[in-house]
Amino acid sequence: MTDTKITSKEAIMLVVTIFVSHTIVTLPQNLLSNTKSATLINLLYVGIIAILLAYVIYRLLKNFASLDIVDISQYLGGNILKNIIGGIFITYFIVSSSNLLREFCEGLHVAFFPMTSIQFVLIPFILVLFLTNSLSFSSNVKTIAIIFPIVLISIVFLFFGNFQNFSFERMFPILGKGFYDTFITGIGNIFAFSGISCLYFIPPYLKEPNKMKQIALSSVIIGLLYFLFCTATILLLFSFFVDVDEVLPLYSAASYIEFGIFFQRLESFFMLIWILEIGCYLIVTNRFSISIFQKITNLKFQKPLAMIFPLLILGISLLPKNYSIIRFLESNIYSYFIIAIIFVLGIAILLLANLKKRKEGKVR
Amino acid sequence: MKHLLKVFSFVVIFVILTVSFSSSYTRLNLDNIAVVVAIGIDKGENNKLKVSFQFTNPSSVSESGSSETAPTILKSVTASSISSAINLMNSHLGKELTLAHCKLLVFSEEIAKEGISDDIYTLMNDAQTRPSCNIVISKCTAEYYIDNSKPFLESLISKYYELFISSNQFTGYTANATLGRFFDNMICQSCDPYAILGGINLQIPSDSENSFSNKESTDMSNSSSLTGETISENVGLAVFREGTLVGELNAIETLAFMCINNDIKGFLISVPSPHVENQNIDVYLTPARNSKIDVSFINGSPYIKVDCKFCAQIYSMTNDSNYLDNNVLSQISESCNRYLKHVFTEYLYKTSKEYKSDINAIGKTSLKLFSTISQYENYGWREHYQDSFFDVSVDVNVKSSTLLSDS
Repeated sequence: MTDTKITSKEAIMLVVTIFVSHTIVTLPQNLLSNTKSATLINLLYVGIIAILLAYVIYRLLKNFASLDIVDISQYLGGNILKNIIGGIFITYFIVSSSNLLREFCEGLHVAFFPMTSIQFVLIPFILVLFLTNSLSFSSNVKTIAIIFPIVLISIVFLFFGNFQNFSFERMFPILGKGFYDTFITGIGNIFAFSGISCLYFIPPYLKEPNKMKQIALSSVIIGLLYFLFCTATILLLFSFFVDVDEVLPLYSAASYIEFGIFFQRLESFFMLIWILEIGCYLIVTNRFSISIFQKITNLKFQKPLAMIFPLLILGISLLPKNYSIIRFLESNIYSYFIIAIIFVLGIAILLLANLKKRKEGKVR
Repeated sequence: MKHLLKVFSFVVIFVILTVSFSSSYTRLNLDNIAVVVAIGIDKGENNKLKVSFQFTNPSSVSESGSSETAPTILKSVTASSISSAINLMNSHLGKELTLAHCKLLVFSEEIAKEGISDDIYTLMNDAQTRPSCNIVISKCTAEYYIDNSKPFLESLISKYYELFISSNQFTGYTANATLGRFFDNMICQSCDPYAILGGINLQIPSDSENSFSNKESTDMSNSSSLTGETISENVGLAVFREGTLVGELNAIETLAFMCINNDIKGFLISVPSPHVENQNIDVYLTPARNSKIDVSFINGSPYIKVDCKFCAQIYSMTNDSNYLDNNVLSQISESCNRYLKHVFTEYLYKTSKEYKSDINAIGKTSLKLFSTISQYENYGWREHYQDSFFDVSVDVNVKSSTLLSDS
């Protein structure tokens, strides 16, 4: 666990991995149910806001060199604030990982393992975390750097593979539910950019901290393009993706790709790639959770935590009794949770810390 | 030693993960599954469904080689739902049915008239069913249709089911209607579903002709002029309104549907000869560009402009043909225009006024005229489509004959 520094390219892939993972499950459908046919316009709109926010976060982090948000909150409010902020972000990472894992495994269970108990579908992912926690952070990120381009290509392929089935009229009515729902309440769709949370934690891991601006902006722009591809695939392909809830909408979209009678049933191949992607997401959130916990408890080593956090994720992912609870959490609670923690609390802490620093500078 | 331990633990976890993410071989091996290639759904007794399953024996396919037709087995069961029928058949066969290779879904006309939306939802809910599975509405019972679906030029029934519809690209006499598309059109508020019209050739000549039509163009399943062994045939379309069968289209009407839908690469038609009365000329048309559909509203009713453009080559040749004469080509072009305009207009009014069904998804084109979904829903496209007025323009440019130009 000594080799912890990562390059700026690896950092970009790490951040975008967090964006991407939720699109594999029901994120595109949640976006579509909020803004219907205006989702693409809404995504461009919230994407621009997300880029601005990423820039603001970069500017606010710039004054703290290689400190992450936990260190900054310690600077702002001492150990108490550090523990509170650390606890909140650990809760966010663990709950979002658990919910995503359970949701994805429900899809796997339906499509591939109908006779297998959901616990046994979840356990292999936890084994992956046991394994990766014993490796260095840098090697984890290098793995992500190998897998992420494949995931990105798979989504582009999914888009162009289904292109012949697209009906571009589905983008109309242009305002979807209406102007207010698209541009005012539609701002809520910014929860899709939850990967911005990583920006708060990567500064200590960067080999070149001066490239933080490039990392922040590039990752959000790549994430936005990725969302546009995913959502366009679902929106333009068939109307039932908008009107009927699917367990794994992108998986269903993949089943429509056929090239003649030879290249068919590519969805299994896509699923293999997406399993790896979910693994990458869990690795990132798990490593950040361990790192935060180490900071707030002043532990010297991370190794004792290597098994605790994966087991915590497993335990929480088993809590929902059925799929409807998971969907309720994902579509109704999770979005507000993200907005409150990442876009309100995170930016507020950084702003206050910057004010404090400026005040101290003036006093000197 | 530490390195060895790491390698060993990596190998152990790798093996565990590989095994965990693999499906059970015991459950899915060929000895334990029954591969369904077609499902037929008829109305059974006491409001139940009679579900027929056509199986192929995978081991006999590999043994029989390419020259022999692989044997198929047809079994039927009466149950309250498709899922119950599958369950009963599992029990009867002692194997698990797999629908992953099901290429054909046949509903009898009788059951389709009562509505098949619940069955379509159930089938889409099944993780094994492919969205590319073809949907046929059979004029006879589904069981009889499947029993008579015999691949003459193919050795594999599944390959036959996959390819039998491919002729639509160059005939236009039937359309590619899949389960996924049917489900989509059924849910969509601006379109209606359609299915392939199937039947068994009863070899009874049909006499439904009008002044514009020729015999072949009014063919449909169950009434075609095909002779020979009794086989299944797929000519025409079954028109649905939401999930209920409301009517049928013959070959030429299906061709009109295909042209307006931009689903055709080329087709042959017989148009009245401009020079000799009661004689037809065979012309092969290819779309010069995609058909254009424009929707506007006049007094709340949709006014729909359809604009199609084709290039054509003359297939008919007689000893006095002169296809180097520009006037002759222009007259034949004009004859094609008149004929196709008549056919397309008749088709559009038939589907809108008589069937009240928008199978061409013209409603999607109207979506851009509304700024919000609630405006569109308040207008109610489905209810207003029957009040539509159509303005069809067809522009055929007859370029030449094929090899011979003048005789």
